[in-house]
Amino acid sequence: MKKPELLSPAGDLERLKIALLYGADAVYIGGHFNLRANTPNFTIEDIKNGVDYAHKLNKKVYVTVNIAMHNKEYEKIRPYLEELKKINVDAIIISDPAIIKIAKEIGLTIHLSTQGSTLNKKATKFWEEEGVSRIVLARECTKDDIKDIKESNNIELEVFIHGAMCASYSGRCVLSNFLTNRDSNRGGCSQICRWDFDLYDENKKIQGEKPFTFCTKDLSLAKYIPDLVNLNVDSLKIEGRMRSVYYIATVVKTYRKMIDEYCNDEKNYEYNKEYEKVLDEVANRDSIPQFFDGNFGKEVQYYNGRTETTNQDFIGLVLSYDKNNKLAKVEQRNHFKIGDYVEIFGPKTSTKFKIEEIYDEDMNKIDVVRHPKQIVYLKVQEEVDENYMIKCIDKH
Amino acid sequence: MKKISVIISSIKQAIDIKDIVDAYLLPIKDLSINYSNTFSISEIKEVQKLGKEVYVFINKNIHNGEVDVLENTLKEIEKLNINGIIFYDIAIVELKKELNLKTDLVWHQEHLTTNYEAANYWYDKGVKYTYLSSELTKREIEEIKEKAKCQTFVNVFGYIPMFTSRRHLVTNYIETFDLNEKGNKIYKEGKYYNINDSKNGTTVYSDYILNIKEDIDADYLVFNSNMIEEEKIKEVLKDYKNNNLKKETGFLYQETIYKVK
Repeated sequence: MKKPELLSPAGDLERLKIALLYGADAVYIGGHFNLRANTPNFTIEDIKNGVDYAHKLNKKVYVTVNIAMHNKEYEKIRPYLEELKKINVDAIIISDPAIIKIAKEIGLTIHLSTQGSTLNKKATKFWEEEGVSRIVLARECTKDDIKDIKESNNIELEVFIHGAMCASYSGRCVLSNFLTNRDSNRGGCSQICRWDFDLYDENKKIQGEKPFTFCTKDLSLAKYIPDLVNLNVDSLKIEGRMRSVYYIATVVKTYRKMIDEYCNDEKNYEYNKEYEKVLDEVANRDSIPQFFDGNFGKEVQYYNGRTETTNQDFIGLVLSYDKNNKLAKVEQRNHFKIGDYVEIFGPKTSTKFKIEEIYDEDMNKIDVVRHPKQIVYLKVQEEVDENYMIKCIDKH
Repeated sequence: MKKISVIISSIKQAIDIKDIVDAYLLPIKDLSINYSNTFSISEIKEVQKLGKEVYVFINKNIHNGEVDVLENTLKEIEKLNINGIIFYDIAIVELKKELNLKTDLVWHQEHLTTNYEAANYWYDKGVKYTYLSSELTKREIEEIKEKAKCQTFVNVFGYIPMFTSRRHLVTNYIETFDLNEKGNKIYKEGKYYNINDSKNGTTVYSDYILNIKEDIDADYLVFNSNMIEEEKIKEVLKDYKNNNLKKETGFLYQETIYKVK
């Protein structure tokens, strides 16, 4: 049995390191010319640092270059691709075929973005013959589609397993262009599909209990990990380059465990509902298998009047640990205080305890940590390490 | 000489505007999306008899289970000797190669046909035409015409599809809240947008009818009659540069941004 790659998003260098540390085999990131133009994104130097870091761990970095270029972007693309080649990225993820010729000349490995909406074996075959190494399949593919596409071709397939969905076919939405003048296919998407609208039947307003929206629930294929492994899918992809370190750590670690447990002992594998609970805790919306099981009726919609859960369980990130004094140096992410019951977890281990001692940077005892990114020291009996996460289980 | 091409809604309309148009564009039954009226193979044959150029839309995303239907349809179309197939899904390029089809292709990945080099890429793969995105500026359209090897189609009139989903978004809402109405418009911030649920999914259209009255550097000017009265279209076609409807230039002079910070 071939173990598929677990592919994580990474919005910056910190998240890249967290993703790889918590079990991702590869990360995908954005520099220039990618579909998240309004995030900090990676400079060439950041990408180089990320690639060097990943390669030392024998892991991979893919760079998204997946906008639909207008003429002026095309005229700037070659030097950027040459830089990416120089720093040895493992592949670029593209949607615009204008890049293919240049990428081949330079010698970059090409993955075709989900923006290409590849849904069938014939389109897949075309791209395989064009020298594309991997297809990121459209999220509208069913299990049967994936099976047939895989069996009909020799190209690598990457499948989204977790995260937010486009309400449209990827690439076929320009609501953002028309309603906000921001180009969705060049990274400016303003997520109009999450907005509420009034729905009319001619001149009569139609009013349900919640407003009309295009918004869909999120995707989770946690239950289908054995199916995906058995389909010989090459890469299992998590969505969310804008998500937090806590989200990345939690989701990557959970899928890492599921994939390893199934691949290491297929016969005794059982779906662990606890993992589903962990994934639900860090989600903004309900998650379902979406198109994978062939079902895309009314249950895919998310009608909630634009309210989405914001997660405040993540209270701190461990920066270092002093074994002698059993003190963890922590950067605050959400309010916490003495008496809170917390879990502190790393890539492999976790421990639960009640917070009994907190010190400020001058080692004065304090009772509460209120300020974002405040540096404090926590008494933690069990040894922890840099990049462990602290999650509040029960507020005092 | 720019050709006047019309996305028609009926055979009756095709006959009615015969003396004004150079090319008919016909959405095909079952394999097209975004158009309320579609045409069967026999209806396409009827329109061909009018002696104008004929292009057929096969512009839906082709799901894996539809490959056989697509293949059979392409074989049927090949017998018609039409001028071209306006396609979205790349399966069509692959099948043209595999089946050795002679019918020309028009690259129309709707909002993704945005630069001259991509048009050249497809031209080198045997795709003779590119149907440009409606989200381009006039300068970009001119530059593509100047630097691309293919001939170009450009939308100059009609509602523009701006969102296409596999999901049945209106039906899902109606069913979720157990309502009786149908739903064909959505409203936001002073504007109404047509929304249409069909067998193949949901399409949302621009709030305005694009109405470009000036010279555009393209080989084919496309007038889209979808959801517009046939008489109105006919009036526009008679003298599109001086038609009485409100001028609406879309993105022709309005460049979109994508980085806001």
